[in-house]
Amino acid sequence: MKLRIQSPAWVGIAMMAAVSTAAGQAQQAPAPPPFQVIPPPQAFKTSTAHYEYLKRLHKGGTQHTWESVPKWEGVWQAGWNSIALRGGVSPFFVGQIPTGLAAGGEVAKAVLSPAYEAAFIQRREGMKKFNQQPYDRLTTCEPAGMPRWLLEPYAREFVNTPSQSWWMNDLANDTRRIYINQDHKNIDNTHFPQGDSVGFWAGDHLIVHTINVWPNDYFRGYPPTSNQFESVEVFHRETRPNGDDVIIVQTTFYDPIGLTKPLDGVYTFTRATTLEDAGFRMRWWECSANQNTSLTAEGTTQMALPGEKGFNDIRGTDQTRRSPDLPPNLPGQNRDPKDTGEVLSLDSALGK
Amino acid sequence: MNRLFIFAAVLSVGGAAASMVEAHHSFSMFDPSREEVVEGTVNRWAYNSPHTLLFIKDGAGKQWVFEGAAPPALLQRIPAMSGTTFTPGQHVMVVHCPLRDGRDGGGIGLVVADAGTVFNPSDGGCGANQRNAEWSTWIKAGYKSRAEAESKSPAPATP
Repeated sequence: MKLRIQSPAWVGIAMMAAVSTAAGQAQQAPAPPPFQVIPPPQAFKTSTAHYEYLKRLHKGGTQHTWESVPKWEGVWQAGWNSIALRGGVSPFFVGQIPTGLAAGGEVAKAVLSPAYEAAFIQRREGMKKFNQQPYDRLTTCEPAGMPRWLLEPYAREFVNTPSQSWWMNDLANDTRRIYINQDHKNIDNTHFPQGDSVGFWAGDHLIVHTINVWPNDYFRGYPPTSNQFESVEVFHRETRPNGDDVIIVQTTFYDPIGLTKPLDGVYTFTRATTLEDAGFRMRWWECSANQNTSLTAEGTTQMALPGEKGFNDIRGTDQTRRSPDLPPNLPGQNRDPKDTGEVLSLDSALGK
Repeated sequence: MNRLFIFAAVLSVGGAAASMVEAHHSFSMFDPSREEVVEGTVNRWAYNSPHTLLFIKDGAGKQWVFEGAAPPALLQRIPAMSGTTFTPGQHVMVVHCPLRDGRDGGGIGLVVADAGTVFNPSDGGCGANQRNAEWSTWIKAGYKSRAEAESKSPAPATP
């Protein structure tokens, strides 16, 4: 194959569609999408073929130093994307997508494989009773994983080093690790929520290949992904004409069990200056609080209340379950020292 | 009750904050068709991810717990909310969508503090925050539920 020598610009220049931001869209008549989907330079049968092509195209990529590696500091939030939930568009629906988490909409044909299309239709039917999906797998505190990591609300931090990138999602402490200029590894011999990601820099674009992902979904109310889901992503930070600081991610999803063919899309992250100005810091996602929500026998979601069995008092002084070998009234064990509210006893928590 | 309500916009700041109302679990345990008021004093304001929780005790001494959005979302509401916004002993009125099975809890829609400030800690489990103008009128009139207000009150003032 004769390779065309191109600059990394081909993956980014065409993204600068000059329209309003997603926020402005909500207040105006329908406008063209604010970000364009840039498909790969050619069709590939597998994600590996796609990734290896790009690596050859960019001659192995840019070897960044600590000084030169692009810095994506600050706090970020998921923004507009072309796949699910936001922006009014999705390849999984015909026409305008349902608002938010609501039921309804017409499932697009032949985007998903027959089995996954039928499963998605079943999911949408099951949403009618409550006008939303009655139970979400994230209820048990499992992470969103790929590809849902790309659009989950909550904050992100992106840390890039010459040898690794660590991208943190506030939700479920869900961190992606990108191993730069390295090969995939799987000594664990299994799959993971985030999969295994390797990447290379092409100038200031980071191209990422992810495999070994366990089955997830695109979002609540959207189709599932299979354990053969893989992806190629191209990340690039830029300043928009309106001054917005964004990270744009061109994606191609490969799922031979879930999709009829590779699926191209675009996701974005916007700088969350409001959070930064407010002094926000990403903390531990305290799933002990979330353990108060659970799956019912009917397949819906339920919530435990104080005094009921299974309720977790996330900031109480009761630590007989936390450290049962210690005296129950040991001073200084309150996880919230300033809290002067009523303490819920263990008996209360157990519903006695 | 004659309060001057400071119904500052509960609109999100920018588009991103509106995206933080989807939570990570379904809201199927809450009844969005019902919006009801519980009045009481704050027992605890748990400002944590994945969900803030507001514990209050009503006049009968019953404890209620209401689920709200995570801190990143609350920081971007107007007015913003932090871990010190609600304090033990503070009197509040909570507009919520109750648990379908009738237990003492629900999804937060709005929280009205004594000064009249209306806070929106909703996480999408209750759409009362979309009826800001209506609830301004209804709470002034002393209504305890949307159903009561709509059956008795005239059409709400246009914002």
